[in-house]
Amino acid sequence: MEKDETIEIRWHGRGGQGAVTSAELLALAAINEGKFAQAFPSFGPERRGAPVLAFNRISNVGHIRVRAAVTNPDVVVVLDPGLIYITDVTSGLKQDGIVVVNTPKSLADIKSELSGPWKLAVVNATVIAREALGIPIVNTAMLGALLKATEILGLESLVEPIKERFGPRAKNNIDACHRAYEETLMAELSVVGQGPRKAFETERLLSWQELLPGCVVIEAGNAKQYRTGDWKSQHPVWDQQRCIKCGICSLFCPEGCIGQNKEGDFEANMYYCKGCGICARECWTEAITMVEET
Amino acid sequence: MATKRIGMEGSFAIAEAVKLANADVVAAYPITPQTHIVERLAELVANGELNAEYIPVESEHSAMSACLGSSAVGARTFTATAGQGLELMHEVLYVASSLRLPIVMTVANRALSGPLSVWGDHSDVMATRDCGWIQIFAENVQQVFDLVLCAFHIAEDPSVLFPTMVHVDGFHLSHVIESLYLLEQEEVDKFLPKYHHPYALNPDKPVTIGAFGPPNIYTETKKPQDIALRASKKVILQVWRKFSELTGRYYSPVESYKAKDADVLLLVMGSFSETAMMAIDKMREEGQKVGLIRLRLWRPFPFDEFRQAVAQAQLLIVLDRALSFGGPTGPVCSEIQAALYPLETRPKIISFVGGLGGRDISVPTFEDIIRRGMAKAKQGRLDELEMIEVRE
Repeated sequence: MEKDETIEIRWHGRGGQGAVTSAELLALAAINEGKFAQAFPSFGPERRGAPVLAFNRISNVGHIRVRAAVTNPDVVVVLDPGLIYITDVTSGLKQDGIVVVNTPKSLADIKSELSGPWKLAVVNATVIAREALGIPIVNTAMLGALLKATEILGLESLVEPIKERFGPRAKNNIDACHRAYEETLMAELSVVGQGPRKAFETERLLSWQELLPGCVVIEAGNAKQYRTGDWKSQHPVWDQQRCIKCGICSLFCPEGCIGQNKEGDFEANMYYCKGCGICARECWTEAITMVEET
Repeated sequence: MATKRIGMEGSFAIAEAVKLANADVVAAYPITPQTHIVERLAELVANGELNAEYIPVESEHSAMSACLGSSAVGARTFTATAGQGLELMHEVLYVASSLRLPIVMTVANRALSGPLSVWGDHSDVMATRDCGWIQIFAENVQQVFDLVLCAFHIAEDPSVLFPTMVHVDGFHLSHVIESLYLLEQEEVDKFLPKYHHPYALNPDKPVTIGAFGPPNIYTETKKPQDIALRASKKVILQVWRKFSELTGRYYSPVESYKAKDADVLLLVMGSFSETAMMAIDKMREEGQKVGLIRLRLWRPFPFDEFRQAVAQAQLLIVLDRALSFGGPTGPVCSEIQAALYPLETRPKIISFVGGLGGRDISVPTFEDIIRRGMAKAKQGRLDELEMIEVRE
């Protein structure tokens, strides 16, 4: 980082993936290095799996005064591979900014999906996290990828904050962080995309004139429109040979999104399936496997 | 119209109004500081004179919460509270107004502890100033009866749908027996339309109320709430006009007494205004050009009517029955100052605080307040808040 520089980072993750923790650890590491830093989440309806944002500002200059979300980041970190398809993760990203993405895809494949005047860094953090920690919580791995891509801090500065946060689990997290640092690949994105830039559906927010007295919602059952299927990192797949059609999966599904199709086979409605894996766990003939989203 | 003047306690007059309004639900918590209002209503429900659901709840917080539910299903809902009880309701008051539930509540205005006090002043009201309810002050038992009836009409108007408080000074009105004219049931039935909430909870036509409002919508919910509360004044005026056609008794957001040619105006709220009138009469007899202004409508604040009422005066003396600890003046006076500040010509303002925790203000004391106010204005001592009759 330059002497007079302030870097702004936006983290895109899902509730439970540790985006907020990433931002916090990064800020603590920066402050330990003698820099000035901020970390703060965008507080929303904290549901596991729902898209969440967290923010960092890191400065060599002095105390950071602005207390508003980062809308023109220098760096964007995407913890969940699926997010680049449902949210505009590069929104407001500065010219020559950096996108750090967790993805099982190859650098070439992601390059064909993202375009703009930015640098790209990719790492398969989910695999690293599963192997190092046994769970797909990618925050510490993505910190390694971020530092490789930006060099804003020394990797060793993260060790103390990670130790303090994770205690007995710190070593595995440091391993994940280091491994991601080594495995992160960088490339320049092409400014001209392969096709028209993807248009993201953004929720239309009501104006004050459109709200009914008392903010009453008269459209019954409109929660059905809510695509909770966007939350999943895995989805269930049925082996119909093993399935004995007992229906236990549909009884246990907390979303109520499992039913029988015309052939009588059980399947999940992917519009609502959050990928929680309860069906696979409860299936006593082991007919259901959870498969990574790609 | 009933032509016979009868004697009745203020609390009972309120219960009578609620009975005549044929309230569907009364939820209340019967502990000190409560009043005879809900005690009498319990009796009326028990003996079959009022066909209502009476919900004896476990606290004032629950009383208001029960009112939310009953008002939301479209039931005409009433409760009464006072002092500490109002404070315990506090968070639910905001829910009632933001959900636009036209609950009617009488508040027997009392001081707040400590030291432990159940006696009258306006400390409890002032703490709820910003809770989004329509707030109306009564000055005598007749007004208490009239204004509670009007409150149902105002609150339940489809363009209003705001909960409404009628402020009744604790003890001075809640526990006093004086005379009033009641109304016949047929007259009330004709005056008061049926309550119909346009979005009432109904299993056959489900709606969501009380959803959460994240930062991207909360502001949009508050703007129309504020606009609608301000706009409710139009309906308040209409209802009071309609009531005057029925009874010949007129109510206005700001009321004056011998104020037309007055150079000096005293402003009070609630039951003390009638005592203050006596002082005005006396000083008028002595040839002093003094008058009285009474704020009947506290929320929405009647800016136009108020500015008009004080436009000709040189001096405005404001009596608060509550303190704003560490604040500029008494809470009413700071609102008055804010209301007049944008005007190029405005009266000088002097602030007094008195009548706290059930202490009376006598006619001579009111005269003294006016005289001292005039003297202080002459000396330019405009930035002092003075508490009257504090024992040295």
